[in-house]
Formats: sequence, C-alpha cells, structure tokens
Amino acid sequence: MEAVINPILLYTLLGVGGLGVLLALPREKVNPQAIGALIAAAGFGGIFLALGLKAGSNHPGLFFYLFALIALGSGLRVITHPKPVYSALYFIMTVLSSSALFLMLGAEFMAFALIIIYAGAILITYLFVIMLATQAPSEEDLETLSEYDAYSREPAMATAVGFAVLALLTGMMAKGAAELAPSGGLRQSEALLTELPGKAIDALDRHGVFDGGALVRPDKTQAAELIDPVHRVIMLEVKDAEALRRLFERSPLAASLLGSEERVAALKAGSVNAGDRIEVKLPADVVVSSVDGVGWDLIAKHPMGLELAGVILLMAMLGAVVLARKQIEMGEAEKLDRVRSRGGEASGVAGARSAGSGGMAGAMAGSAGGGGGAA
Amino acid sequence: MNTLSSLQLCTEAPLSPGAVTLYHYLFLSASMFAIGIIGFLSRRNLIIMFLCTEMMFQAAGIALVAFSRYHMNHTGEVFVIFVLTIAAAEAALALALVVLLFRRRETLDAEAWTELNG
Repeated sequence: MEAVINPILLYTLLGVGGLGVLLALPREKVNPQAIGALIAAAGFGGIFLALGLKAGSNHPGLFFYLFALIALGSGLRVITHPKPVYSALYFIMTVLSSSALFLMLGAEFMAFALIIIYAGAILITYLFVIMLATQAPSEEDLETLSEYDAYSREPAMATAVGFAVLALLTGMMAKGAAELAPSGGLRQSEALLTELPGKAIDALDRHGVFDGGALVRPDKTQAAELIDPVHRVIMLEVKDAEALRRLFERSPLAASLLGSEERVAALKAGSVNAGDRIEVKLPADVVVSSVDGVGWDLIAKHPMGLELAGVILLMAMLGAVVLARKQIEMGEAEKLDRVRSRGGEASGVAGARSAGSGGMAGAMAGSAGGGGGAA
Repeated sequence: MNTLSSLQLCTEAPLSPGAVTLYHYLFLSASMFAIGIIGFLSRRNLIIMFLCTEMMFQAAGIALVAFSRYHMNHTGEVFVIFVLTIAAAEAALALALVVLLFRRRETLDAEAWTELNG
C-alpha cells in the first residue's frame, strides 16, 4: 500500500471525509450541509491528490481522477439531498461517470449497457415512482419538505459504520497496487481468435481469397486449429494451383494476403501443388473486440446464468404486476382529507373516512392506525 | 507505525509514473459502496434507501470491471450483466412494494412501519 499511498495519510483523510459526510446529512435544527460537503470533498479530494502525486508528475490518469470525483461527489449528493427527485438525478450523474470509467477500462459494451439500462430504464422508473408516491403539496406551504426527508435517522452511527467498512476494505485492498495492462482492442483477442474462427473465415471471404476455388474453404467448426493467433496466419489447403496463380494476377487484395514474392516465384516454378498447405495472413480487420469477448463469454461459458437471468426477470415482472395491481379505491378529496388528518393521528382518520370506502378499509385492515375501518 | 507495516504489501514491480492502478479503482468502488451503506442506514425515505442499494450495486460493478481488466478476462464484465439484471428485477419489485406501502400509509417514511420490528 505504501507504493500508492501512505496508510496514515489515507486513514486521516478518510476520517476527514467521514466527518464531512456526517455534517452533510440532513438533520434537525442547524443544517451545515455546505460545510459538510466541502469537508467531505476535501477528504476524498485529498486522497485522490495523494494517489495522483505519488503516481508521478505526468497525468495520464487525469480523466480517472475527474470522473472518480464526479462519481463520488454526486453519490454524496444522492444521500444528502433532501429532495428525492434531485437524489435520483444525481444518481444518474454517478451512473454516467461510472460508465466513463468503464470506457477507460476498455469495457465499451458495459459502459453503454450501463447508460441504457441504469440511466435510461431503472432510474426513470425510480423517478416515476418518486412522483407517484409523493404527497401533493398543500397550498400554504409549497416548499416544505416531508419530515422524513428533512431529518436523517442516526447520522452519526450510519457514518461510523460506513467509514469503518471503508477503512476495512481499503486496508484489505493493499495488494491491488499493480498496474493495469495497457488498454486497447487486443485484450484476450489472441486466444479468442481461435475460439471464433468464423470471423477469420468471413473476413477472408470478403477479401476474395476463396474466389475461383483455388483454396479449400475450411469448415467454420473445424477451422480453430488452423489459426495461429500469435502470428495472425491461417493454414489453408490448396485445391487448384492453376486457379491460385490466376487469383494472384486477378485480385491484388487477395494476393496481398496470400503472401510474398517467394510464394509467387514458387507458383511460377510449379512447386505448389494441390493438397499443399500454405500460410495465409489474416486481414487487419480481424480483431476480437470487447463486445465479441463479452458476448462469447456470456453465451459460451455462462449459458445457465443467462437462462436463469431470463427466469428471474420474468418472475420479477409477474411479481411487480401482482403487487402493484392491488386497487385501493380512494377519491381525490378523501385522499386530501386523509393527508390533512395525518397530523392528528388516529382520532381524525375515522371521522374523515366516508361510508363508501370499502376497498380502502380492506387495504387498511392490517395497519394499526386504520383498525376502525372495518366497522 | 509497526501495526501499519503489516498493511504495506508492496507490489513486486515498481509503478511507472502516473499509472492508474487497480487500487485506484478499488478505492473508488469501496468509497461508493460506503456512501451507499451510509445512505441506506441513515435516510428514512424508502425510495432513497432503494436508490442507495442501487449505488452499492454500481460500486460492485466498478470493482468487477476493474478486476476483469486486471485479469484480462471478460467474465467480470459478464458478471456485471447479471448484476444489472438483478438490479432491474430488484428495482421492479421494490418499487412495486413501495407503491403498495405508500397506498397504505400515505407516507414514504420507513419509521412509519416500526411496528413490524417483531
């Protein structure tokens, strides 16, 4: 851990960050949110600064620090902002900056899936529910917050627990100072080329290597052992030496893959015969991208998980429909009455409820406050 | 300092200047997870509490992708797909429950359900 950050500095700054988060949480009476946010930002910013300074003077990781601070800062706003809608919007910020971090880690597919699924679907559902399940503001106080949004529950204990977990985790991660390998489209692609031979065969097809029947087109399921992923060549069997010579003359694109001047010389001398195996270079556009890798890993190595995920999604959909379709009939005026009478607790509730609210009475049967509804 | 020395498990290879290491990503992930824990424990709004669980999923996702990158292996990313699936399922069910609870009590306050504490 000394290689990336001094432990004493780390834990001091973590303490500063914890104090800031504690101050920023919404609470009764004095509400020093701005000061708390500043202190928390100073704590986390100090850690990242220390990480950055230790790492050196030139900053290829500038964007990491930028997006990490945006993610943490808006994460902090999610838990400290008293208005739920703003919390959800800040969470979208967090999602966007983590997808930027995913891009930097070379996980393009996950980055965009995260934006589509999280920011586009899950968070929008959250926003809808926040709007559905918020009491309409009364005329006199449009800006008053609900009591449960304005005050947090046990902020000191929660912060202590959270930062104890953080201190534990950061201590355990001490071995993680190893550098990440250089990024690019080459991760695992060498090994994956032999697992996805169809890509190579299709690319050779596009370059016209199999035109004229000069070479035997290998079966895609058996082409794996023909490919040498390190040197990016594939061994192909010659079917017709005469057609191969014509291919050299007719198609410069294919000829560029088929090889060198020695090969041409060998062809002219007639030393290449049908049945010989020749090396063919793989075109430059045969690369296994991150999306190919993720798709292959998902389908080929985790088919059971994929099926189970489908079942879980179906069950969740059915469950949500069953849970949410339970109708509780209540008129608008009645609803307002109930909201107003909430101040006077149970005494006002029984009087405000009209005789025709049978559905509501059924829904209230389990709750202590509405016990009189069945009468 | 002696107690802290047990933490100093230095890497074998010296770091090149300016390198963003796995530790950076893991620290970010752990911090986000801790913020999620704090929010879940301290906020009283049911929806914000579920939002905080989503933040913890997000933090786990960052760690998984960082490990996936570190080991040059796509399985970590695939696991994030499963995490996303579970998060979506959880959001659907939890929000349906929240709507149901809101209809009963006309409030999102978690403290309104304290009689459930056995």
